[in-house]
Amino acid sequence: MSSYLDLNYRKLDRAAIVLGAVSIMSAGFIFVHGTFQLVQISAIGLVVGSVLGLLAIAAGLLAERTLMLAAGAGFLVAAAAQLVMLSRGSSGFLGGNASTFSLWLALGAGLIALGMVPRPEAAQETSAAD
Amino acid sequence: MAGTDYAAGTDYTAEADYPAGTDVTPDAVRLPPSRLNRALLAIVRIGVGLLWLQNVGWKTPPNFGRGDPPGGLYLSASYAVSHEVLRPYAWLMERFVLPNFTFFGWMVLLVEAALGAFLLIGLATRFWALIGIAQTVVIALSVLNAPHEWYWSYSLMLLVHVALFATAAGRYAGLDGVLRPGWQLSRSWAARLLVRVS
Repeated sequence: MSSYLDLNYRKLDRAAIVLGAVSIMSAGFIFVHGTFQLVQISAIGLVVGSVLGLLAIAAGLLAERTLMLAAGAGFLVAAAAQLVMLSRGSSGFLGGNASTFSLWLALGAGLIALGMVPRPEAAQETSAAD
Repeated sequence: MAGTDYAAGTDYTAEADYPAGTDVTPDAVRLPPSRLNRALLAIVRIGVGLLWLQNVGWKTPPNFGRGDPPGGLYLSASYAVSHEVLRPYAWLMERFVLPNFTFFGWMVLLVEAALGAFLLIGLATRFWALIGIAQTVVIALSVLNAPHEWYWSYSLMLLVHVALFATAAGRYAGLDGVLRPGWQLSRSWAARLLVRVS
């Protein structure tokens, strides 16, 4: 019989790790300007992206969905804060633009979606042991 | 997620993977037969996501370029009137959109930011591909006749979103591929909806 136990939870954890890694790698855009600057990242944006990215990676490594939800919520809060600052006509202290908002929305929505997948206790332990 | 094979967890696969008589959902989208093809589809999806993600960056609230002289998004939108493509659309822009541009500017920003976000991670990809098609049509109707525009740019944008929809591209190295098996097992309306839009 099909159940959630049929799912391979490691794929969810791996996806969380990738999303965290993307956040950390996006910090590299602090050094990129002009045509290939896909997102605008400032020093504070770098800290936000790195801390939340590390949290997402830890969540994936530990197979801990609460941490995934926390990292996802953190990204969504950062995205919302960036949007509010943009609405006031400046980048604000986060120093990003609408692309930064889009990136953090992606990471937040992705981690929340991953963290919302219910996991039976046994499956969680198996996944962590792997 | 790129480079990761999530195919085993999805509900469709290459024809060769199933011997005759196996119960395969008739309307299932067949998996491109090689790992390379799946990776290439993921690259296309991520590339299109980055296109939206980068280009939402020059939509700057709160004025979105409305001023003297006009610039940014407002200038692009005003081409729909000054370099008309379709008369009813130009009329709509002149009467409703440009006079209320703050509202429509925010709508553009939010839609394009969401397009960038969800196509990048491959979540509800088929739904967002449809939104991408609609948004591309809107952009094309605004700027197709503007100076220095190449109409194939918008044709290509339209076609690539059609391809993302047709191939359900989020199932390859995207979150749709990871989450869809769980949605398929759930009986909730939200899960059923997500199965349809992924």
